[in-house]
Amino acid sequence: MSDTDTTTNADGAEVRTDGTGIVPPDDETPTWSERKARSQGLARLTYEYFERSRREDQDLRQQSSYVERDVLAFPTWPHEMIRNLALVSFFVGMIVFLSAALPPHIGPPADSSSTPAVILPDWYLYWSFGLLKLGPLNPDISLLGGQKLMADRTYGVLANVVIVGFVAIVPFLNKGAARRPVEQPFWAAVGMSGVVFAFTIAVLSVKNLVPMDSHVIFDLTFFLPLVAAFVTYAVLRSMREGYMFNLNRRYYRLRPPK
Amino acid sequence: MADEFAKGLAVFMGAGLAWLTLAGWYRTPSFEGSGIQLVAEAPEPSTIYGTIGIVLMDVMAWFAVIGALTFWVVIPLFEQARASSEERGS
Repeated sequence: MSDTDTTTNADGAEVRTDGTGIVPPDDETPTWSERKARSQGLARLTYEYFERSRREDQDLRQQSSYVERDVLAFPTWPHEMIRNLALVSFFVGMIVFLSAALPPHIGPPADSSSTPAVILPDWYLYWSFGLLKLGPLNPDISLLGGQKLMADRTYGVLANVVIVGFVAIVPFLNKGAARRPVEQPFWAAVGMSGVVFAFTIAVLSVKNLVPMDSHVIFDLTFFLPLVAAFVTYAVLRSMREGYMFNLNRRYYRLRPPK
Repeated sequence: MADEFAKGLAVFMGAGLAWLTLAGWYRTPSFEGSGIQLVAEAPEPSTIYGTIGIVLMDVMAWFAVIGALTFWVVIPLFEQARASSEERGS
């Protein structure tokens, strides 16, 4: 592929190389005898892969009666499957190699009669564990004579309900029409603040993980997500000027050929 | 240019994986706890295989660094120098 979307051929006419339009053969296009000379090995496989995809793309273009018929995707077999097989083979090979060459040490069995000094859930539940430590946010209500409406532990459980509820509601507030974050900076900012909050609340749950005053960590837990939201919104908002909003429009307007 | 990057990356990843494995064998007393890992003092090899492994470990570590730098820095610099000198000459 060339560096630019449009190049100029020998006649001076513009030829689109971004996949739209059929490019006529030029001097550099190999002849059929040259193509068939690559008769073995990876060169042959590569040639067949690209030639078949090119041919299928050409057939689909010629069969389709739509004006916007530029991208009709690759077939799952063999194109996507061969790529996926390569990736799967790599990762399976890495797992087999590492488990054979560097087997992990299996420690002694857990002693159920002694309680460990630090009790933490698995790492992917740190956020929920951190929400149980929101006691300082539980207000003392003066109407009740300075008492709290509910115990700190009940408050923490309710905080889980609120967070999970918010995560469940977001898809109904925003249907996800944006193809890039830059198209909807506000919702990108909401998402980034959520990602950062998931991290900071997890850090809060392990209070002595960061060598810092625990009150400062508590404040940063809620302040850093806001900072992330503002920064995300500002950056994306300034990016909008240079963004081509119809960049991907045609991909999602496509209909299959008749 | 992309080819040179891929070659450098392949050298870096392949040699790095070999070094990681050998260092896990020879220079890691234990993966448990907070002890030193991968860069601890290598023991005196008692067999010819141990000697080969420890030498190969150092070879792979330097190959990862020098090989990647060769493809990512030295060869592109050389190519650019040659292109600019040709441009000046013509």
